[in-house]
Amino acid sequence: MARTAVDADRLRRALVPIVGERRLSQRESDLASYGRDMWPRALIGIRSGQLPPDRPHVVVWPESEREVAAIVRVAREMAVPIVPYGGGSGVCGGAVPILGGITVDLKRMNELSSVDRDEMTCDVEAGMNGERFERELNRRGYTLGHFPSSIYCSTVGGWLACRAAGQMSTKYGKIEDRVAGLTVVTGRGDVIHTDGPVRAQRGPNWTQLVVGSEGTLGIITSARLRLSPTPELRVLRGFEVESVAHGVEAIRRVMQRGLRPAVVRLYDEIDTFISHAPLFGSKRTAGRGDEGPVTTDGLRLAPVPGPAQGALPHIPPREQGVPSDHGGGPGAIARLIGTLGGGDTARRLGARLKRDAIAAAMSRPRLLNSLAAPLAERVSRRGCRMIIGLEGSRIRTGVEARLVFDELERAGAVDQGEEPGREWFEHRYAVSYKMSPAFRAGLFVDTMEVAATWERLMDLYHAVKQAIAQHAVVMAHFSHAYSEGCSIYFTFTARAEPVAAAQRAYDSIWRDALAAASRAGGTISHHHGIGLLKGPAMAAEHREAMTLLRGLKASLDPDGILNPGKLGLPASLGAGRAADGDEAAAR
Amino acid sequence: MSAVVAGLGGDLGGALEAIVGPLNVRRPPSALARRFAVDGASPGGEIAYLVQPGSPSEVAEILTLAGRVGAAIVPVGSGTRATAPSPHAAALAGRPRLFVDSRRMCHVLHLDETSLVVHVQAGLTALALERIVAPRGLSLGDFPPQVLGSTIGGLLSVRTPGKSSPRHGFIEEAVLGVSAVLADGRTVHTRVAPRRASGPDLARALCGSEGTLGFLTAAVLRLHRRPEARFLAAHALPSFDDALAAVRLALREEAAPAALRVYDAAEAHAHLGADVFPTGNDEQAVIVVATAGPTDLAACDRDLVASAAAAMGGTELDERLAELWWKRRTGQERGTALPAPALQVTASPKRQSAVYRAVRVACAGLGVGLRAHASRFEADGAVLFFTLVGPSGAALVGDELVRARGMAEAAASAAGAVLLGTENEELELYTRELRERLDPAGILNPGL
Repeated sequence: MARTAVDADRLRRALVPIVGERRLSQRESDLASYGRDMWPRALIGIRSGQLPPDRPHVVVWPESEREVAAIVRVAREMAVPIVPYGGGSGVCGGAVPILGGITVDLKRMNELSSVDRDEMTCDVEAGMNGERFERELNRRGYTLGHFPSSIYCSTVGGWLACRAAGQMSTKYGKIEDRVAGLTVVTGRGDVIHTDGPVRAQRGPNWTQLVVGSEGTLGIITSARLRLSPTPELRVLRGFEVESVAHGVEAIRRVMQRGLRPAVVRLYDEIDTFISHAPLFGSKRTAGRGDEGPVTTDGLRLAPVPGPAQGALPHIPPREQGVPSDHGGGPGAIARLIGTLGGGDTARRLGARLKRDAIAAAMSRPRLLNSLAAPLAERVSRRGCRMIIGLEGSRIRTGVEARLVFDELERAGAVDQGEEPGREWFEHRYAVSYKMSPAFRAGLFVDTMEVAATWERLMDLYHAVKQAIAQHAVVMAHFSHAYSEGCSIYFTFTARAEPVAAAQRAYDSIWRDALAAASRAGGTISHHHGIGLLKGPAMAAEHREAMTLLRGLKASLDPDGILNPGKLGLPASLGAGRAADGDEAAAR
Repeated sequence: MSAVVAGLGGDLGGALEAIVGPLNVRRPPSALARRFAVDGASPGGEIAYLVQPGSPSEVAEILTLAGRVGAAIVPVGSGTRATAPSPHAAALAGRPRLFVDSRRMCHVLHLDETSLVVHVQAGLTALALERIVAPRGLSLGDFPPQVLGSTIGGLLSVRTPGKSSPRHGFIEEAVLGVSAVLADGRTVHTRVAPRRASGPDLARALCGSEGTLGFLTAAVLRLHRRPEARFLAAHALPSFDDALAAVRLALREEAAPAALRVYDAAEAHAHLGADVFPTGNDEQAVIVVATAGPTDLAACDRDLVASAAAAMGGTELDERLAELWWKRRTGQERGTALPAPALQVTASPKRQSAVYRAVRVACAGLGVGLRAHASRFEADGAVLFFTLVGPSGAALVGDELVRARGMAEAAASAAGAVLLGTENEELELYTRELRERLDPAGILNPGL
């Protein structure tokens, strides 16, 4: 990718009057830091000591939408690309400045401007950190209900830019369901506001057209978001189902009865085994019986959450181990490393031997997956783990919880009591901080989140799993359920050396998995977004409807300066003006 | 039927007949032609056809033809829209008009009973769809029956706040995907998924755009199981403000009624009978509510509304009042025909009382009587419906209505209401640019 030819000094001189010397940097260390986000492909290189290949010409930290607008106008005049940057926690390369240019870090725009108790909305700046935002709301008696596993290191603007989902989205919805309006600086340098009652307005729904645009159509500077009161009651349960298919059917029945649990997580056999093995057997009894009040109908309830208790646990110390890990995902991979390495034995034998054992195993993913088959068979006799949680107002949540649990039991799910749910709840963020050990062990780990209607869901599960299993060890859980379908979250790990070979392997996994998802009728992303990673699959995802996206680009960013190369749009300036079918030429 | 059009090398009617067959091309009804007639021109003197394509490929051919001859495409559904904005005459001057009626595209393409999703062509009315899915225990949702007479295309193309319910949200939220023919004849299908993060929700460019960005040919919609139980209740509240506060309280407690309406005293008398209140008081209000779903949850929602009403000083009314309301709402019983409200506005929770009072004050200043009710409660507020009446109690008509409505609109707007069909002026440029990009020849509903 050709870096844009920019006179860096001239660019600096143009930007200093807007943000001053102190909120602008061209230091090499800053440029390198802003050359990447948490896209695992880049981490493969970093693991081996390589610096990110892409970097901006300058990083700026604006403090107001007026400053952002002025920066965009400078970029437009000088034909320089702009990449908006929040927490840098994206996993698809959405913040990678492939053509250089200006990286606009919005983290100094971090105020919760207002909370309107009558309207149940708040106005918040895009750069506000997710954890801080939620805690501020909790202090006022509200919650956004949005709990992505990246909440400690992501921003509100980042959530909106990539259509994020939180762990309790089944009740509260994804971020696009919580947004009432946006303030956006367009590629023309204008500030626009998209709020207002959509149902009374004419024309396109601009809020929903900017949400998910990953900085390619505008820079979101603030948002009006819908709030809920902090829950008076939270109920968590574990269930066991005979198989993934049985679990999927049970969830479908709950959702289509019009019931809305906040948390729905169904782990496939491998994920169940790796994440929850200690809970099988001796502890397969309902509840510990020593926690939480019992209602008159026998429903065991978790202690009431609230501002004092905190809706968020505190961030775990760096790479701190947790007693058991019930989140699946990368945490399960870390656990798998321990298993493959022999746990305590391996530790005694030394780190090098452990690394070699893992390397040998992970270099043969097909073999490992085939060895996993008898294991899976053994596991499947024990069933799959499901975590269900409800929260909200005391009366309605209590009634709904009873209905949900009854429906699950009618569908054959076996109640495992409160403990599995509580364990998941307590450690639900720990899993996101466990990738480093895996990368240090010479592996790469990534996750893929797809979604489909119930009719296609199991086909999607098998197709994607099979595609990934050709290259990597793979497991999955189902979460974020809707009345018409569900999301599947695959976690995979593999090993290859050197860096180039690992990146080729990584690319092969994604190429095959994305193609499998499209063929099976699923969407290629449920909540991580597209970035650079999935751009090549956008044509298959949207086909002729890409015309609409290109139309939006031409309207909002006619010079194509905003985050070029993302969302499958051309990786060149002037993309906004390119006619349909001109992408190849623009590249 | 023929009219020679420059650039066609033949007659337009013949070309259309070649696409859709002679039985599906005719002169438009005079009322339709009049609405789109250029000022001063006789409707009959302009080239205009009503065309009824039977498939998206026929729509594509018609649009391609229109692009070639510079004709204006005006999508037509079942014609239920009460107040349609008039197009700017200049955009239509000298152009043939093709009224494209989608009602031959009226098939259910796929009913996925596992996912509760239906893929339906745009020309089927929502009511017809309800009749098709009802025997299977399914429904589009708790939407007011009066909006279901629209075609699916009309339902999605034109926004009105009535297309929403507290339990199932706004109708556009039921859209999992749409198909549309663009001005250049290309057909697009937006990706169908429960939710996605593969860029913006492109279907939201087409919904609400009144056929100006593409001609909707099909939609994939979420369905719901018909409720296991339904409960009805009515409550008298000391005032309209108290009733609105009770509704806010109930919704805050997460009650999700299927339908809920707040009448002021005059509207309650008109709709529910003169003896609705046990004791007379012109300031009183009535809440009628229907809850639905699993029996325990529907009962819980009913009780939450009752508790909220009681907390605001309300008393429970005879359940038969709620039954009367429900039967009329669902068309099971016809009451006295009442004139359509003169004014509908959307108001956020904080503004509803102020808007109601402002309109009352404005009407009182004009010596005009007022009846009002609020319904379609959703996260962004509710819709307030106002009927303006003369001294005899009859609804205003003619110039008197126009003048009073203008004053009422101004008062509502000043108090923070959003008028139906509002456009965000900040976004006009972007909408225009998008339109020019997708339809450079300006054939799709020009003038709107």
